[in-house]
Amino acid sequence: MLEKLEEAKRNIQREINSITALKDAEQLKIKYLGRKGIIQDFMKLIPSLPAEQRAAIGQRINSLKTEVTNIVEELLNKFSVEATSKAGHEIFDITLPGKMHSISKSITLKWDIKPPNSNILHLPGKRHPLTQTIDDIKEVFARLGFDVVYGPEVESEYYNFEALNIPADHPSRTDFDTFYIKNDMLLRSQTSTVQIRVMEKQKPPIRIIAPGRVYRPDTVDARHSFMFHQAEGLLVDEGVSFADLRGVLNQFIKTYFGQDVHVRFRPSFFPFTEPSAEVDISCSLCKGKGCSVCSYSGWVEILGAGMVDPNVFKAVHYDAEKYTGFAFGIGVERITMLKYGINDIRLFYENDIRFLSQF
Amino acid sequence: MANAGLVVADIQSVEDDFCLDVEVTSNRPDCLGVIGIAREVAAVVGAGVQFPETNYTSTDIEVSKLISIAVEEPILCPHYTARVVRHITVKPSPEWMQKRLKCIGLRPVNNIVDITNYVMMETGQPLHAFDLDKLSDQKIIVRRAKSGEEIVAINGARRALFHDMLVIADGKRPVAIAGIMGGKDTEVSESTRHILLECAQFEPRQVRRTSKATGIASDSSYRFERAVDPEGVELASKRAVKLIKDFAEGEVAHGVIDIRSGKYEKKRITLRIERLNKVLGLEIKRTIASDILKRLQFNILNEVETGFKPVSTFIDVEVPSYRGDVYREIDLIEEIARIYGYNNIPTKTSISVRGSVKSKYEIVEDAVRQFLIGIGFYEAKTFSIVDTSPLQSVNLWSDRVGIDIANPLRQEESRLRTCLLPSLIRAKIYNMNHGVEQVRIFEIAKVYLAGEKLPEEKTCLSILADMDYLTLKGIVESLLVSLGITSKCEWVTFAGSILFKADKSTKIQLGNNILGYMGEAKELEFKTSSCMVELDLDLLVKMSNFAKYFQTLSQFPPVLRDLAIIVDEGVAWASIEKCIAAANISFMTAINFFDIYRGKQIPSGKKSIAFNLCFQSSDRTLKSEEVDVAQQMILDSLYKTLGAELRKQCKIL
Repeated sequence: MLEKLEEAKRNIQREINSITALKDAEQLKIKYLGRKGIIQDFMKLIPSLPAEQRAAIGQRINSLKTEVTNIVEELLNKFSVEATSKAGHEIFDITLPGKMHSISKSITLKWDIKPPNSNILHLPGKRHPLTQTIDDIKEVFARLGFDVVYGPEVESEYYNFEALNIPADHPSRTDFDTFYIKNDMLLRSQTSTVQIRVMEKQKPPIRIIAPGRVYRPDTVDARHSFMFHQAEGLLVDEGVSFADLRGVLNQFIKTYFGQDVHVRFRPSFFPFTEPSAEVDISCSLCKGKGCSVCSYSGWVEILGAGMVDPNVFKAVHYDAEKYTGFAFGIGVERITMLKYGINDIRLFYENDIRFLSQF
Repeated sequence: MANAGLVVADIQSVEDDFCLDVEVTSNRPDCLGVIGIAREVAAVVGAGVQFPETNYTSTDIEVSKLISIAVEEPILCPHYTARVVRHITVKPSPEWMQKRLKCIGLRPVNNIVDITNYVMMETGQPLHAFDLDKLSDQKIIVRRAKSGEEIVAINGARRALFHDMLVIADGKRPVAIAGIMGGKDTEVSESTRHILLECAQFEPRQVRRTSKATGIASDSSYRFERAVDPEGVELASKRAVKLIKDFAEGEVAHGVIDIRSGKYEKKRITLRIERLNKVLGLEIKRTIASDILKRLQFNILNEVETGFKPVSTFIDVEVPSYRGDVYREIDLIEEIARIYGYNNIPTKTSISVRGSVKSKYEIVEDAVRQFLIGIGFYEAKTFSIVDTSPLQSVNLWSDRVGIDIANPLRQEESRLRTCLLPSLIRAKIYNMNHGVEQVRIFEIAKVYLAGEKLPEEKTCLSILADMDYLTLKGIVESLLVSLGITSKCEWVTFAGSILFKADKSTKIQLGNNILGYMGEAKELEFKTSSCMVELDLDLLVKMSNFAKYFQTLSQFPPVLRDLAIIVDEGVAWASIEKCIAAANISFMTAINFFDIYRGKQIPSGKKSIAFNLCFQSSDRTLKSEEVDVAQQMILDSLYKTLGAELRKQCKIL
């Protein structure tokens, strides 16, 4: 093995000397560094070596790889520069320092021709409206002592379902259509997965807010998107009650939608909370009188919540007698649409500056 | 109703009546029938429920003389009953029944089928009527399907059956997929004279799996999947027979064939009043709790003093058979909460102290956003799932291909992206097509790189702007400074991507790590000149440093020297900088590039580069001579290393 490596090294040296053009350098790169290249072939042999040799030989292969990479990069640079200068062009020097922004240079004194959409500001730009909502959520909950945490989007069935008290072949899975990747891997269909990941690592008291992207195979229309954002909240401690959940959510809703909004808690069902609730606010459009946005009920649903189900605590080995907690999941697009009167969820992902500049 | 958990989504008036569309959550199969809804209403308003008529007269002929039933899979079919009605007249069902079925979306067929549907909608218990003459050997066997068997269901679908599926068979063949749909061969038709009425229970998971495997879902499978009332068979079966007797003029055979494995025992749960109040944040007394449970038809077992515990501290209850969702103390607590009214539970307005500190990631993410919007950028958000075109398949960070979705809805969204820039290019094109010519956008999002097991989710910052390469480079450099990253980046030629124009394409190296890739967008070449960059945000977080230390402001004036040197076209500014730095002049504080010139006075293949050097000491005024010496050292070194010749020089004092 070692001899073969040495031989490969000698071959490389020889081949380098015979290289005269960019094309040759590129071929050399493929030959040695490509996915089916010589160095990769050596790598594949490692598992078949005696255990005591693996580390040493692995190191040798790696150092050969670094060496060859450096040489090849150098050659590629050299020949690409030469190729351009031979063609008689001036060479753009990518290493020149960047131009520094300053007011005196960037403000033009002449009047620009007014663009058709004159409400677009040139300075400053804007955070995406969904980011603004997520920031608003973080702000409210940070003041109540919630940490902001994130979790992976590619998840296992365990975190997305089982640990959340959604067993296989259970009708409650019908409510959670999911994109699968392979084996038991999937794209999380809810941010509740983060609850489990945090509780597995931490003991109570816990206070977290977990915003992020979630995915469900929904056909895209004005109200549905196969990707959207949620913010999950979780609080676990001794003596936490439904009354605390009401208090904390009330605080958030009144901060986000305004003090005069009415809030209604309504029994519902989620496998991972018991009791479960859906929370409605009075329709901002008709002030509770009834209109098409609220299906003439005067209320619009904005989030789901509840007391953490003892089965979830069991999955993370918490003592459900000692600790209680609540969790909630906020649909970020949903509350943003309600707050600003946005009627089509697709607008969030088209990134039309005329839209983004309004918020 | 909504306050108790049953949302009435819609109320329609149908002639002199009303049709309510009620949303029933998956844990409440008991509400998948009118009786269940009535029970809920009764609990909320505190009234009783009136059950439908089930009395009928039967003939002397024993049902067991007419048919035989065998259940081979008692676990998958814990309860099976059959009744027989003979000499019926199949005809349309009465007007009122048709009207009710139509308004809930069921198509009237004939009196027998309509009655089974009607009773299912009343009780939540599915039923099925077989044409008795068409059952071979007058026999029903509940068994697993045999390999090679198939069935044509009532809806016309032909399905192959497998051993893991439960079927209802006659002496020869399957005549129904258990709990899902009956077979076409044995369905009730106008010529039917005698019927066998099946009313049974099937194991929910079994029904769900088979329904998924066969792709046949029905009102029946919907209910069995969610589990029906284990004590509900009797009522539904009798009710259906009564209606058949009334509206199909049949003769009911005496008795029933009832095969049941084990006896259903009602669940008993203890509710501690203290626990109830602790979980809900209430202070209610036992009487309120027990009253609510009674209204929900829970049987209270300990009205009198038992054992040691004073009776006021707990309630022992027996759960009604149809409430399969209630089996723990917490489930009772929910029942009390929802009838008590979630909105009657207090809203606590204080919370214990807990400090929360912003993570470094959050700080950097906020700082990056603030920086970019401050100079006029808009934040974009684009989809993480993309198509598999060559542009979207660009992967700057690894040589593995992207991760595919196993069950995509459309080809356009079938792979997790490995690069954000193609999506920003799309956003740019979208804006151009909608009359917004100039864009400056950025996105902070993940790319998904295949790993050995779990993929690596790398958070990236990508920027696209209608500006030239050096302007965007300046923005990146300023951004790094604003994050307290003082180590210098190396900007290396990079020709490995279809994203960028080859001569304006860079790999950005920060220490031993790749910070990102930048270049002019090739895709947009003929439309506009845009530059873009994708940076490893996780690396920025790691390298950022917000610690600040005061540096003494120098009392002594700086000396600036402007220089212009002539070098070969191929000499990069970075090598000039490196060479100057290598001269190691302790009091040189800055090198500022300001101009590059090619023209008449400069030989072809060469270029003139102008810059100034800044010299300053913190402890003394520098002498002109020592600056001269330093400058000469630098020029010598530039000449030796890069063949640079001095073009002109002027002193600024």
